[in-house]
Amino acid sequence: MLIQEAMDIQEKLKILSDAAKYDVACTSSGVSRNGKKNGLGNTYASGICHSFSADGRCISLLKILFTNQCIYDCKYCINRRSNDVVRTAFTPEEVCTLTMEFYRRNYIEGLFLSSGILYSPDYTMNLLYHTLYRLRNVCGFNGYIHVKAIPGADPELLRQVGFLADRMSTNLELPTAEGLRRLAPGKTREKILQPMRLVQRGIVQQDQMRLEYGKSSFSGTRGVAGGEAGNAAKAETGKRSFVPAGQSTQMIVGATPESDYQMIRVAEALYRNYDLKRVFYSAFVRVNDDSSLPALPGGPPLLREHRLYQADWLLRFYGFQAEELLSEDRPNFNVLLDPKCDWALRHLELFPVEINRADYKTLLRVPGLGVKSARRILAARRSARLDFGDLKKLGVVLKRAVYFITCSGKTMYPFQIEENYIAAQLVGEERRKAWEIEYHESFRQLSLFEDNRIWAPVTREDAAAVITGSL
Amino acid sequence: MTVFVCGREPEDIFCGIYDAWMSRLGHDHVRLEFEGCDRELFCEYRQVETTAEKAGKVTDSIRKKISQEVYEASYKAALSREKDRADKLYRFLVYAFWAGNRVMDMLQIPAVNEVFSMNRHLNRELDHMLGFTRFSQTKEGVLFSEIAPENDLVVLMASHFADRMPMENWMIYDCKRNKAAVHRAGGGWGIVRAEKSQWQTRLHKEKEEEMFERLWKTFHQTIAIKERENEACQKNHLPLRYRSYMTEWNR
Ligand code: SF4
Repeated sequence: MLIQEAMDIQEKLKILSDAAKYDVACTSSGVSRNGKKNGLGNTYASGICHSFSADGRCISLLKILFTNQCIYDCKYCINRRSNDVVRTAFTPEEVCTLTMEFYRRNYIEGLFLSSGILYSPDYTMNLLYHTLYRLRNVCGFNGYIHVKAIPGADPELLRQVGFLADRMSTNLELPTAEGLRRLAPGKTREKILQPMRLVQRGIVQQDQMRLEYGKSSFSGTRGVAGGEAGNAAKAETGKRSFVPAGQSTQMIVGATPESDYQMIRVAEALYRNYDLKRVFYSAFVRVNDDSSLPALPGGPPLLREHRLYQADWLLRFYGFQAEELLSEDRPNFNVLLDPKCDWALRHLELFPVEINRADYKTLLRVPGLGVKSARRILAARRSARLDFGDLKKLGVVLKRAVYFITCSGKTMYPFQIEENYIAAQLVGEERRKAWEIEYHESFRQLSLFEDNRIWAPVTREDAAAVITGSL
Repeated sequence: MTVFVCGREPEDIFCGIYDAWMSRLGHDHVRLEFEGCDRELFCEYRQVETTAEKAGKVTDSIRKKISQEVYEASYKAALSREKDRADKLYRFLVYAFWAGNRVMDMLQIPAVNEVFSMNRHLNRELDHMLGFTRFSQTKEGVLFSEIAPENDLVVLMASHFADRMPMENWMIYDCKRNKAAVHRAGGGWGIVRAEKSQWQTRLHKEKEEEMFERLWKTFHQTIAIKERENEACQKNHLPLRYRSYMTEWNR
């Protein structure tokens, strides 16, 4: 295969961003870092969205492949060996120039560098290492960097890259070993999980080292990597923090027949066993005409992807377990109800919940109440007894919550707490939303996310990402 | 009713609050208004003089007697687009000095809620602006940006970019309010009042600039997944009013 290196940078950018776009992660979140005296850039824990593409997804990072050349032949991938497409590669200098110049103009929050496998995992990882090394140490770039950990690459190389990056990711892509065997010959689960484990260990080691230096480095509002303890640990480990924004991964939704239950079980296990920051779900887009891939006449399964994000949210922030949401007998999410409403309807015996008394955990389980609403309720009820009018003033969205709460023992208006009645009310609203997601219409806010942060800035990136499924 | 008439900048507003409070006429008998508002019969009008000392006294006592958090919320309220922000901030502070930092949780109180809403609107816009603002390189070595926010954000944006781009010369010009934040490479920044004509004739786009603008537009287009196209969703997140200042929308 001929790699065209002499191509002009405009053309390269076109090819190598086009080839990178199916990786849905584009967040610049997870780490706060102040600017540096002689450098360029800082980072924000909540991330910043810089633009939105025609598919409505947030653009935060310059998302590119180093090269679209690849020795593998994953069936679902546009860059697979057997595809006849123009191949090219950036030079490290080109990647640096694009990143620095885009950043100075405030187009981007940083770089997301991925790559096809050129010659070997080590060779490729080395290229990524040199690019990041240059960007950090020659160009003085201090903004956000997300980089792929290439399965099979030398652990020491991965470690070195980890000290230059903010976030690393290895994509699981398919949730089961069987799925991988069918669609990603040459990859195995073990191979994919290995770099994840290495990065996890690196992060744990660093945290322990920080603890030994006494003061917790997590006390400051800005700077997970800040503080004296952090600096001491950094000096020990080669100046920078190791993957301070943590790791993420991605699973493709709908390329193989796994159920939603299987997907969220895997996600849950990854959060538990690998300390992942995020699992991303990417509705399958059929880019290759291949008999082993499902035909999707209705387009990518966006509603299913949306439900998985909602469920993922419940696992991470609402104290739910995968088994509470789905089971072997009920392996897929309800098309008409979001996972939290669905759960609540099956547990009406736990409702209604009294707003002036219920604890935080209980409030979180009420459909329509988010983390911020719940916190706001707890804070406000310290100085007054709350009624429904007060809840509205607090910015609590009552549309769904009203069927599940009381204020001083009363529901907002009289109705029967009965499954069919409430389901009918909830479904009416949800059906419209579901339809809009399926048919690419606009829908304003994801139910679980309706309340924005109170005094602090709203994290647009997160809000946007939940909706578009690119969190 | 005694009306204290002040200017529109945060320092002016804090001085207005100082004068109204120190007049000891009672909170119910005073009101804050901006210069140029309609005057009513039966009201006494007093002009507020802005001094650094008075403004400093108010901000210091908010910080020391209440909290940094309340100070930040107050400062942002003073930068809000809300026409009646001076008086609304006054009403909020009456509660804040009584309740202390707890006031931040008392959203059910109307005076608190007003300032909360103003903050929310401002924060949301600030968040947008920090991402959507675009700079272009000029021959004169200055990164230049033009903005037209609804709230008076330039100060808040300047502190963000000063941390982010300490080694660059840059300028953020608010064309609605005719003022700019100007930052010197390796140095500090300040706010200057400047009519558009003052900088327009002096700054010229760098030749290379077009190449980077083209590259960015290319990226912006190719990164979208055709099968997921969703214009309405895009419009929701990136409202049209921002687009005239953004490189990728200038065809
Ligand atoms: S390894 Fe597989 S998924 Fe990755 S670029 Fe190569 S073919 Fe595509």
